[in-house]
Amino acid sequence: MKKEESIRTGKPKVKPTALTHVRGVRCGNKPGSYEKEPGHQPDGRSNARRSTGINAEARNPILPEMPNLSPA
Amino acid sequence: MEKIKVGQGDLVQMNWDPISRIIGNLGVYTKIDFKNGQVGECKVTSSLFRGYSVFMKGKDPRDANFITSRICGICGDNHATCSVYAQNMAYGIKPPPLADWMVNLGEAAEFMFDHTLFQDNLVFVDFCEQMVKETNPSLLAKAEQTAAPHAELHGFRTIADIMRAFNPFEGSVYKEALQIGRLTREMCCLMEGRHVHPSTLYAGGVGTVATPQLFTDYQVRLLNLLDFVKKAVPLNDDLFDFFYEALPGYEEVGRRRIQLACWGSFQNPRVVDYRYANMNDWGRSMFVTPGVIVDGKALTNNLVDINLGMRILLGSSFYDDWNAEETLVTHDPLGNPVDQRHPWNQTTLPHPQKRNFDGGNYSWVMSPRWFDPQSGEMLPLETGGGPLARLWSTALAGLVDTPYVKATGSSVRIQLPRSANLPETEFEWKVPQWCNTIERDRARMYFVAYAAAMALYFIDQAMNEIRAGNTRTFTDFAVPEEGLGVGFHEAVRGCLSHHLVIRDGKIANYHPYPPTCWNSSSTDSDGVPGPMEEAVTNTPIFEENGQDGFKGIDIMRTVRSFDPCLPCGVHMYLGGGKVLKESHVPMMGMVGRAKRP
Repeated sequence: MKKEESIRTGKPKVKPTALTHVRGVRCGNKPGSYEKEPGHQPDGRSNARRSTGINAEARNPILPEMPNLSPA
Repeated sequence: MEKIKVGQGDLVQMNWDPISRIIGNLGVYTKIDFKNGQVGECKVTSSLFRGYSVFMKGKDPRDANFITSRICGICGDNHATCSVYAQNMAYGIKPPPLADWMVNLGEAAEFMFDHTLFQDNLVFVDFCEQMVKETNPSLLAKAEQTAAPHAELHGFRTIADIMRAFNPFEGSVYKEALQIGRLTREMCCLMEGRHVHPSTLYAGGVGTVATPQLFTDYQVRLLNLLDFVKKAVPLNDDLFDFFYEALPGYEEVGRRRIQLACWGSFQNPRVVDYRYANMNDWGRSMFVTPGVIVDGKALTNNLVDINLGMRILLGSSFYDDWNAEETLVTHDPLGNPVDQRHPWNQTTLPHPQKRNFDGGNYSWVMSPRWFDPQSGEMLPLETGGGPLARLWSTALAGLVDTPYVKATGSSVRIQLPRSANLPETEFEWKVPQWCNTIERDRARMYFVAYAAAMALYFIDQAMNEIRAGNTRTFTDFAVPEEGLGVGFHEAVRGCLSHHLVIRDGKIANYHPYPPTCWNSSSTDSDGVPGPMEEAVTNTPIFEENGQDGFKGIDIMRTVRSFDPCLPCGVHMYLGGGKVLKESHVPMMGMVGRAKRP
């Protein structure tokens, strides 16, 4: 294909050999990340805040003994 | 046609390169003794260099599962899972139990998907009416007259009816398997985000949000599948038993000494902690038991022994030796010495060269062997296409005991509950007499039933976690400056290992050893042929076509019984400069066939 016929593209900003994880970018695996996730409790359970940020408390089960199974 | 005289028989060179209906880089070079009706010699070659072990160096170890998933276009999630296991060990972490149950569910779906697709859409083309008519017309005539013993279960009156159902694009089993393929891939996607390269699978757990609906979505599909499985197992048995009956001596096709490898699958979250020191314990608690089976006996079920026994020989491959290269791991975390030929210490030094079948190098596949400390032999282990080794190892170990699957010491009992149209059904896979083409193929559909039954158990366990409110599916970790990991898993077509060494927080060495490396390995420096080579050599020829119309169906059945994968075209080389080129769409040329003399 001649040069003038090719699709115009910008200059690549990343080399194909660049790592996915770059210093300075927050890593989801970093220790302490779990505690920062809204709705995820320290004991491994979760509540409605996991699924929504809008009035989450009102969407928890009405009785404490009921399982707290929020939607995806 | 070129004739090569070796000894007393006249050997005719017959080559298939590449083989169709498998991944497109495998060539089989044979010399056939038509007078005595058997294969005299066989060399198996791969003309494709991948180089994963070369370009993984220096990368962030957290990328490993996403990159190595691309090794394969059909069982990429097996690689991702295996890589995650290796990383878990290197990072010193254990995912929450629910995450391991979900990975098991995703992998069970993959086994069901891939085995069904390969068996019904690719392998059975070799056994279909159209193919048998072209290769063994008298066998087809016999099949027309033979009633199928389990006709009341699967609905096909005669064996010929079964063969007709396998006809590509037209047969009912062929078409139904495509539907099942869709269903099972959906199941895999539910757990792992995407098929075949998972997006929600990584070290420390899974990113899939665990809700009751996720598991019921999976369960609905699984129950829909059960009717198909309950019919498929007896249907497979009827066909394979017919081949033994109608063609006496067919058990010799693809037969070799029993030397099987299974690295175990389906972690048990109650036991596994991904620590090397405890690897024997959690390995033996896997829901597919790892093991090395030689001459029908289990040499070991210990993953540490399995790991330390691995040796990568150069064989007849296009690589330079790495003896003079750096030894990265002198001892494992338990203090056992690690060989220079072990994957942890391997340095891949590709050296492209001309293919030479006469005592030279001819393949890009090295020769992985397992060192048996008792006999001192370097064993050319095979996977039996995957299911044969898995079922054999699990059966002999007798460790798996769940409500749906039980290993008895000589068999595996699989219990499937009532489904839409069929009642509760029990199958029993018994340890066979031989390791041959038919038994490799027969085990495949039994393992679909096995995976389905295990998936039922995994759903129960996952739902128990959910009901207890344990919805956590991932755990945090930091990448260590130095680390060592190994993942043992089963790819669909057999044993899979990923060996990982981390230095300065980056990958210093990474070696995936997938099943086809073992199966299609080249003849090693001791002259021991690779498993596929050995299985094809001495295979009797039952095909009724003479030398000129020869299709090599018995050889093709043997090669495909090892489950290499995916389609392309066929170029058949007949020697003496005479080349038969046959290009066609994947399935045996039902449509769009073009022949050139």
